Amino acid sequence: MTGRPTPTDPPESPGRRQFLEQAAGLGLSALLAGSAGLSACQPSSHQHIKGGMIGANHAVGHLLRNPEKLPPPTQTLETDVLIVGGGVAGLSARRWLWQQGMRDVLLVELADRPGGNAVSGQNAVSAYPWGAHYLPIPDLRNRELLDFLTESQAITGFDPGGLPVYNDYYLCHDPEERLFINGHWQEGLVPEVGISADDKQQIARFFKLVDELKHAKGKDGLDAFAIPLDGSSTDERFRQWDAVSFESYLNEQQLTSPYLRWFLEYGCKDDYGTTLANTSAWAGLHYFAARKGVAANAEANAVLTWPEGNAFLVSQLEKQAASPIQSNRLVFRMEETHQGVRILSYDVVQKMTIAILARKVLLATPQFITKNLLKNRVIAGFEYSPWLVANLTVNGLPQNRGMPLCWDNVIYGSPSVGYVTATHQHLKSSDQKVITVYWPLVQEPPDVARRKAYQMPYEDWVRLLVADLERAHPGVSEYIASIDCWIWGHGMIAPTPGFIWGEARQKAATAINNKLYFAHSDLSGVSIFEEAFYQGIRAAKEILGQKPSD
Amino acid sequence: MSKPDNRHRHLLLLLSVFVIATCGLIYELVAGTLASYLLGDSVTQFSTIIGVYLFSMGIGSWLSKYLDGPLLKWFIRIEILVGIVGGGSAPLLFVLFEYAASFRLVLYSLVSLTGILVGLEIPLLMRILENQLTFKDLVSRVFTFDYIGALLASLIFPLVLVPYLGLIRTSLFFGLMNVAVAWFLLHQFPETKPYRRSLVTAILLSSFLLIGGFVYAEQIMTYTENLTFQDKVIYSKSTSYQRIVLTANNRELRLFLNGNLQFSSADEYRYHEALVHPALQALPKASRVLVLGGGDGLAVREILKYPHIQSVTLVDLDPGMTDLFRRNEVLLKLNNRSLLSPKVQIVNTDAYHFVRQDTARYDLIVVDFPDPSNYSIGKLYSTSFYQELNRLIRPGGLAVVQSTSPYIARQSFWCIRNTIAASGFQTIPYHAYVPSFGEWGFILLLRNHHWRGDGPLPKGLRFVNARTIHDMLNFPPDMAEVPTEINKLNNQVLVHYFEDDWTPYAH
Repeated sequence: MTGRPTPTDPPESPGRRQFLEQAAGLGLSALLAGSAGLSACQPSSHQHIKGGMIGANHAVGHLLRNPEKLPPPTQTLETDVLIVGGGVAGLSARRWLWQQGMRDVLLVELADRPGGNAVSGQNAVSAYPWGAHYLPIPDLRNRELLDFLTESQAITGFDPGGLPVYNDYYLCHDPEERLFINGHWQEGLVPEVGISADDKQQIARFFKLVDELKHAKGKDGLDAFAIPLDGSSTDERFRQWDAVSFESYLNEQQLTSPYLRWFLEYGCKDDYGTTLANTSAWAGLHYFAARKGVAANAEANAVLTWPEGNAFLVSQLEKQAASPIQSNRLVFRMEETHQGVRILSYDVVQKMTIAILARKVLLATPQFITKNLLKNRVIAGFEYSPWLVANLTVNGLPQNRGMPLCWDNVIYGSPSVGYVTATHQHLKSSDQKVITVYWPLVQEPPDVARRKAYQMPYEDWVRLLVADLERAHPGVSEYIASIDCWIWGHGMIAPTPGFIWGEARQKAATAINNKLYFAHSDLSGVSIFEEAFYQGIRAAKEILGQKPSD
Repeated sequence: MSKPDNRHRHLLLLLSVFVIATCGLIYELVAGTLASYLLGDSVTQFSTIIGVYLFSMGIGSWLSKYLDGPLLKWFIRIEILVGIVGGGSAPLLFVLFEYAASFRLVLYSLVSLTGILVGLEIPLLMRILENQLTFKDLVSRVFTFDYIGALLASLIFPLVLVPYLGLIRTSLFFGLMNVAVAWFLLHQFPETKPYRRSLVTAILLSSFLLIGGFVYAEQIMTYTENLTFQDKVIYSKSTSYQRIVLTANNRELRLFLNGNLQFSSADEYRYHEALVHPALQALPKASRVLVLGGGDGLAVREILKYPHIQSVTLVDLDPGMTDLFRRNEVLLKLNNRSLLSPKVQIVNTDAYHFVRQDTARYDLIVVDFPDPSNYSIGKLYSTSFYQELNRLIRPGGLAVVQSTSPYIARQSFWCIRNTIAASGFQTIPYHAYVPSFGEWGFILLLRNHHWRGDGPLPKGLRFVNARTIHDMLNFPPDMAEVPTEINKLNNQVLVHYFEDDWTPYAH
């Protein structure tokens, strides 16, 4: 495997709950009808399953719809820098500013805790992720990320050759991945069991292609594909692929194998929440050709993961700076002043409004939030994929033939992108496990799928989830103790054709009047930790007046 | 029902003698066989069981004089009782073997009770028949039938019953025969009319119990265990973690966890002496020992042979295992009651969890995990695990790791050695021959310790001495070192090696 299918690395989105109330009156029939075999599944057989929809905060949603109804400010705070949004980008900027000696920084977050899409949950069995849940070991040239991992003790040292030694408890334990295909669990996610020689040949050709791209450089001497993505070559030879869909690219290369197509679409869904047809070919290739990590004690394609997912990294980002963080704060108005910016922030718990006077403001918010805070900001092209993430606590997992339970478990032909075993990194074995199912809602255009998802009752999600799992784990229903569901209306930025190297990203990232700055993984066009981390540092450097290379 | 004439009447009764004599001897044989299966040492078991049984029959005979009133009623009642007690004895003993602290008491009580009831039968019958036959005829006929029944029993028991029915079904079947005799007499003799109804209820109830037992108890036993194991299964239990099965034959007791042999009582001393003594003979001042795995207490038994050991902490995941070896009489004999020693502290938790949390330091750590046959166990053989051990060993201390067979699983053995070496230890690999297992491997883990193999050993060891230790260090070419990868959490190569190594032996 050259690339690692990624069950979601969504960006931070402090304002996600705003959209909970936008769900309009559309039925569920289409979504339900899209899934086979549901009719055979009696709802009554799921009554032992506890749980519900998590992450919905309707009260806050209401407030956002009617900001004029919020009370006038009763307090005024002053700060040098205000960071709006406590996802990975905001926390990364806060950390950078602190490490550069800037102390007068305040971060406000809408949710009850920072973390954005890398938040986690916890029950008696295990901690578990609600979104982003792993990090591939980075390229050696990504010094800033290596430094962060070293400070986080995810890197415990460097070998004499300069290769990082990763913490063995954080490297994903073996066995990592398996695929349920043709009635059998095979090791690895690239289809192998029961496929024809021609399919195998096409799969091999594709991997040879991306392996070449991994080492390819443009006329400017830069890597064809890099992380952070802004460091990729500007050579048209590669960038031209952004204009076409991944599907067209595969047609052009005569890569038609249904198994290969399945695998690549799985990758697009998994990493971007998009289908082959609406993913930029450049982004599709980036997924396979940009990961160039090396380690003293792990394979090149190794990943770091934790039971709580990237909430581990979030807590490390938080720890590595001491400037204040205020949660449960809804920023609903911003005005430029002579000295800086005046912000109105509503304290959702105390039910009072606070005015904040800041010299500079960093909006570490996704663009669908940012555009509501800034008047006259019209930047088209930012589309977001809706997701369902479900955590299932099981008292056992009846297995089928083949490879035993892995970290990442994918079912061929499933509408979900499979599940990750949250308890995989536990050192003791137990029949009780928490598994996290990732389900990108790609059947329909994002806005339609989003509205339907918010409307769909819990019982229907349970039916969908159980039916999907039953395909590979017959009889699993009775082992399921609980299912909690979280809908991410805007789970990931979608790298649609033309988006990565179009104008929108550049425009949206440009600071305004040395007062307003922007940072979010959607400004990179792909929703991964590395990009959010990078965007935070980039914006922090702008605020500090540092050069990008400083 | 026609009134049977006298001849018919005493023929029926003599037929009963034949049946009950067969039953009586069968119960005796069942008890004797079961005792030697469960407790071993068949000569002693058979001898004491037969003695107790015959003596109890004597008591029964003596007690028979106190029975007055309608003798036939007494006889039928006793038949029902013999059917239940004798017939139920084998399944009851199998079930109760788990609570073996009182197992001998239960065994001999049951044998005595059966003996007493059987002892009542013949005198009662003779009294029933006394007015119908002359004394010399009575004695001659009753005892003829009695001894023919005994001959039949002694022939069919080893040739037919044990091989085809098994102990439990044999016992239950003859219980039913006793009950059938009761039923038969009840319906053949008109004088039983007044109490027929109540006794029929008792007969139906006991038949129901015995048939139920015949169908279920033996079915489960046969189905789950006897097919898998070559010897008789004498104990089996599924705990939350594993299936524990004890089997026995005349010579030895075997313990299986999830179908894998853990030890045979015939030669486990070789394994456990080899596991413990090469390390402890080099630590004359050791006082604290940690044992990981080894819930059978057999390694602890060897450790406690050194009086200077003050404390042993035994960490085993499964309380079902440590409880069994703290309670079962046969197993207590085997581990010399080691788990009941005041020096021993038992912690039922995951070993990996324990070593990460533990703050104590040890002179010796004995690692006696199952072989690395799956990914969960593979983690306990990783560099990360050995690095945690490193922290828990006192300066100058040692650890020893059971490391599967260097002959059969050569790559696995050397992978474990190389993994330990990569985790900051010096290593001394060695091996011992354990007939039940074959060549078995161990690795000593040292940190700046000048280990020698000629230190003081406790008296009475059967396998290890200075010469054995010396010989164990030599690896002939067919077990010699091979290069391997290092087993880490993120590659688990050992599980793959182990699978490769064992595949040729899988069937």
